Amino acid sequence: MSKASAQQARQTPVTQPVRRLHLPQKLRNLELFLLLIACFINASAVVLVQLGALGEIDTTLVLLGAGLAVLVIGLHVVLRFVARDSDPFILPIATVLNGIGIAMIYRIDIADQDSGWESAAVRQTVWSALAILSAIVVLLVIRNHRVLFRYTYIFGFLGVVLLFLPLIPGLGREVSGARVWIGFGSFATFQPGEIAKIALAVFFAGYLVRNRDSLSMVGKKFLGARFPRLRDLGPILVVWALSMSVIIFQRDLGTALLYFGLFLVMLYLATGRLSWVIIGLSLFLGGALLASQTLDYVNGRFTNWLDALNPDVYEARGGSFQLVQGLFGLAKGGLLGTGWGQGRPEITPVPQSDYIIASLGEELGLAGIFAILALYLLFVARGFRIGFAGQDDFGKLLAVGLAFVVALQCFIVIGGVTRVIPLTGLTTPFLAAGGSSLVANWIIVALLLRLSDTVRNQPRLVI
Amino acid sequence: MNVSELTLLVLRIGFLLLLWMFIFGIVYALRSDLFGQRVRKLTTDAAAPVPAFPVAAAPAAPVPRATPAAPDVPGAASGLATSQNTTRLVITSGPKAGTEFPLGADPITIGRSADSSLVIRDDYTSTHHARLMLWNDEWMLQDLDSTNGTFLAGARVTVPTKIPLNATVKIGATSFELRR
Repeated sequence: MSKASAQQARQTPVTQPVRRLHLPQKLRNLELFLLLIACFINASAVVLVQLGALGEIDTTLVLLGAGLAVLVIGLHVVLRFVARDSDPFILPIATVLNGIGIAMIYRIDIADQDSGWESAAVRQTVWSALAILSAIVVLLVIRNHRVLFRYTYIFGFLGVVLLFLPLIPGLGREVSGARVWIGFGSFATFQPGEIAKIALAVFFAGYLVRNRDSLSMVGKKFLGARFPRLRDLGPILVVWALSMSVIIFQRDLGTALLYFGLFLVMLYLATGRLSWVIIGLSLFLGGALLASQTLDYVNGRFTNWLDALNPDVYEARGGSFQLVQGLFGLAKGGLLGTGWGQGRPEITPVPQSDYIIASLGEELGLAGIFAILALYLLFVARGFRIGFAGQDDFGKLLAVGLAFVVALQCFIVIGGVTRVIPLTGLTTPFLAAGGSSLVANWIIVALLLRLSDTVRNQPRLVI
Repeated sequence: MNVSELTLLVLRIGFLLLLWMFIFGIVYALRSDLFGQRVRKLTTDAAAPVPAFPVAAAPAAPVPRATPAAPDVPGAASGLATSQNTTRLVITSGPKAGTEFPLGADPITIGRSADSSLVIRDDYTSTHHARLMLWNDEWMLQDLDSTNGTFLAGARVTVPTKIPLNATVKIGATSFELRR
């Protein structure tokens, strides 16, 4: 071996080979540092809740919070071994959001005097543990994201099955009008649509990488944009029909908007054609308008949105009471909020899940809400960044799709609570009480970490 | 235990400050992603051949096209660099002239950003400047809309171009060749 290298050196005497540098795990150390701050933020949130609402500090939930801290640090240790070049910011951001959510849910438990297994905060902590464990499993099982590309159509099938699982009689559960839950007896309800969004993101990415040529190349130019041929409209019509059936049969506007928006953005990314966005948006708006005319519950949502402060609408059954209470809460919070444990977020119906943003806005104020939005912004920006740095098209599409689904979900929920768009029931990612949402979002975290690890190439040479 | 209003007020503002400090900490840590890598000024001798406005010089560039490629190693004009006949990338001029690294099947990105495969930190290089990739087993050079351009054998690269073996690719003060 030395002979060969000597020979090579003789052939090109001016050059000297460069060995790959072994760098210390700078990214992981940065992540650990940020994680410790994140855990400190979470612990202080819980302590402040106890000081504000109870006037004393007891150790029950501080112990549970420590459980969360141990788990995320466990995830961090796993990353040191299986994904050492992954993005260092995603995990701390998700941890802070999850922890603030638990603190708020705990605060509402105190107001409702729930304790033990009845307490939503205890359940949320257990679900967080399950979610982080499933993220660890995903990281350990999927060592390279291209494996997912191989099973594109299986993921598509899985996504559709999960989406329509709640329609099966005996298995599906209806909660406040929307049939998006499954349950066994009175035990353990789960929202399979949350997992479906990941499966569908994988499917869309794989499908579009395989078929985008016909969707992006051909077509007639009209009004400055190239429009696709009629026969290439198939996929978008199928997804549109899927979302419309979600609106009709599951009575869930938000989920339909989420899936259709996801498909539209990934289609735009894969083809770079604005005409798809125009076609898609007009299809969806047309469908939504039609639904608002024909379906009672959609019509009600629109009335509550447009005419929320009308006393008749406010007092009507299923009227805008909840929406307006949320707005009152946000207004009470003002710039700096009432402080943890000192507002009255429990007056709004479901303050710990759909309306957690209004609860947080009341107690942390505008400054707190903007901090939370900034955390989401950073999270989504990291996802886009991973997609941008990616080398293969499937990875690029998947990373951007997963990040965008989080962004769109935030927009739909927070926009609904703040009366920017009609209110639709979706969970605020990481914050809201709900196990299925937590599991799905932590799996998204794991996938983004995995993608960022395979994507980041260490420089071979620095000049 | 009775907590005074004042304590709660201080704690409330303290918590918000903590949250925002966390956010600004993250933003500070990823500043190189947002604003680009720190620039290293070119030393005078390296910067000398670079004109003040290289973009303006670009139209003139195709003229000397034949000259740099011709005096190369015999057989340069004939062979395009493919995955079979190319094994390494050699830096031929610039601060690190003489270094080389092996080529695999992976694409090579070139730019100032830290996630490039070949990081060139001078004020001439764009954050994501160019990339080399295998396309049908042949090495292609693609300019990623860089400000100052990528030159293959003296000509500015505008569309993805096949690279001949031993032809000079020039980015700022650095040039390199793909070799057997």
